[in-house]
Amino acid sequence: MTAVPAASAALIPAGRRVWNVARLQFANPWPTVITPWLVLFGVHALTWSIWAIIAHYAGPSLEADAFRYAGGVSWLVIYMMVIAIQAMNATFRFALGFASTRRDYYLGTLAFFGIMAVVYGAGLAVLAGIERATDGWGLDGSFYAPAYLYNQPLAVVGFHFFALYLLFIAAGTLVGAMFVRWRATGLYAFFAGLLLLGVLLVWWLVGSGASAAAAFFTESPIAVIMAWTLPASAVLAALGFLVMRRTPVRG
Amino acid sequence: MTAIIEADGLQRTFGDVRAVDGIGFAVEEGSICGLLGRNGAGKSTLMNLVMGQDFPTAGTVRVMGEDPVENARVLTRTCFIKESQSYPDAYRAKHVLATAPHFFPHYDRALAERLVADFDLPVNRMVKKMSRGQRSALGAIVGIASRAELTLLDEPYAGLDAVARHVFYDRLLEDYARHPRTILLSTHLIDEVADLLDHVLVVHRGRLEIDAATEELRSAAATLVGRSADIAAFVAGREVLGREWIAGIASVTVAGLSEEDRARAAQSGLEVTPVSLQQLIVRRTGAPAPEEVAS
Repeated sequence: MTAVPAASAALIPAGRRVWNVARLQFANPWPTVITPWLVLFGVHALTWSIWAIIAHYAGPSLEADAFRYAGGVSWLVIYMMVIAIQAMNATFRFALGFASTRRDYYLGTLAFFGIMAVVYGAGLAVLAGIERATDGWGLDGSFYAPAYLYNQPLAVVGFHFFALYLLFIAAGTLVGAMFVRWRATGLYAFFAGLLLLGVLLVWWLVGSGASAAAAFFTESPIAVIMAWTLPASAVLAALGFLVMRRTPVRG
Repeated sequence: MTAIIEADGLQRTFGDVRAVDGIGFAVEEGSICGLLGRNGAGKSTLMNLVMGQDFPTAGTVRVMGEDPVENARVLTRTCFIKESQSYPDAYRAKHVLATAPHFFPHYDRALAERLVADFDLPVNRMVKKMSRGQRSALGAIVGIASRAELTLLDEPYAGLDAVARHVFYDRLLEDYARHPRTILLSTHLIDEVADLLDHVLVVHRGRLEIDAATEELRSAAATLVGRSADIAAFVAGREVLGREWIAGIASVTVAGLSEEDRARAAQSGLEVTPVSLQQLIVRRTGAPAPEEVAS
């Protein structure tokens, strides 16, 4: 038999193939897009109620920065990391079953989470803007731009959340890729690697780096510190791709 | 003849297990080819290798003349539906059906809708809540409606009842007649699909046991029924694939009967009946395996 002549081009152009995978993640927007905002608004409402109670009973003795250190937003990055891991596990086999290449799958998944990072970064910046315009929801509270973000311009607040999301999502896609490829063994390897990195960091800090690290974090503007997470995110995402490109489809 | 799939010395081992153990074959473009074999014979592993979903330990496979691994030129022209296809947890059947046209350029939505009605598929149900048969129906709908140049169906109707299986065969053949394509279908329900198949590949313990056109395979053997003494006289010196006795009547499956042989058998008062594909394959792959000889 002679072979069928090779096709000159894919029937679906590369950009659309990647976008198709990104759309897979949107097919049911509840876990990724809708639920997190609902929970966030719920946490905000609870926090505000507690502020209101405290403000009512404390009266004029309340310190000026009493409501400046809420942690109601930070859970979102961990949640999105978990979502990234789950999404990889849920959609990898499905997308490959629908004739995607691993490369298109990975790029599409990153594109989806990249869009999410933009949406959450912008969304939180807008909410922080409302927060400032309403005198901290009427109670001088800072929920969406707490602690070290309190005095920062809104653009920096947005960029901070965007970069933080990217970092956790990149870590999530790496963990997800390792789980999809090696199952539980992959997770053990990831967390063993993370532990090793932690030990090395402490070793370096105790040795000579403590003052340098402290100087970097206290003297650099937030925007600069967050900008430094971008190459780290890129490295994590690239590692994830290296793991993914030789992953067999199981089951 | 033009080969759309060509495998050569294909091997895939998992630890000590040789799931696919040196298989070479070619699938002709435009044919319906059956990949048959017992559970665990290596059918699914072989299909995963053909679609680039798994990586061969040794050997090569070419689809449309190219390595299928990470090859969008090849993969956008294929559809691979398997029994074990996983769907995202949050998906309902309608999400799967809405997503499919993005991935399969020749997908026909109207056909898919008709098939949904034929299979009586509850499209609003979560895929994870569906029965095995309903999930199979969902896969079968996508597999038929995608009209991919090369369609691989791995046990596409596990859990479907006999009626639904016949709906599947009918619709598949009907659409194949209108929109010819190449179909590689794995199953162990051999007799049900026998009439569909142009070509048969039988895998047994990771090796290719039979690679033949269906007609050729059918004519390669016949079953003779008659009195034991007559049968014994006739089959002396021939290759006997199987025999059964009831009282004085014997039934023997014999390989390699020529037209002359058939005529002679009929003259000796023996009834010559075509052997079923299933019987033939059971005889070739069902016998207890000989002891492995250490090399």
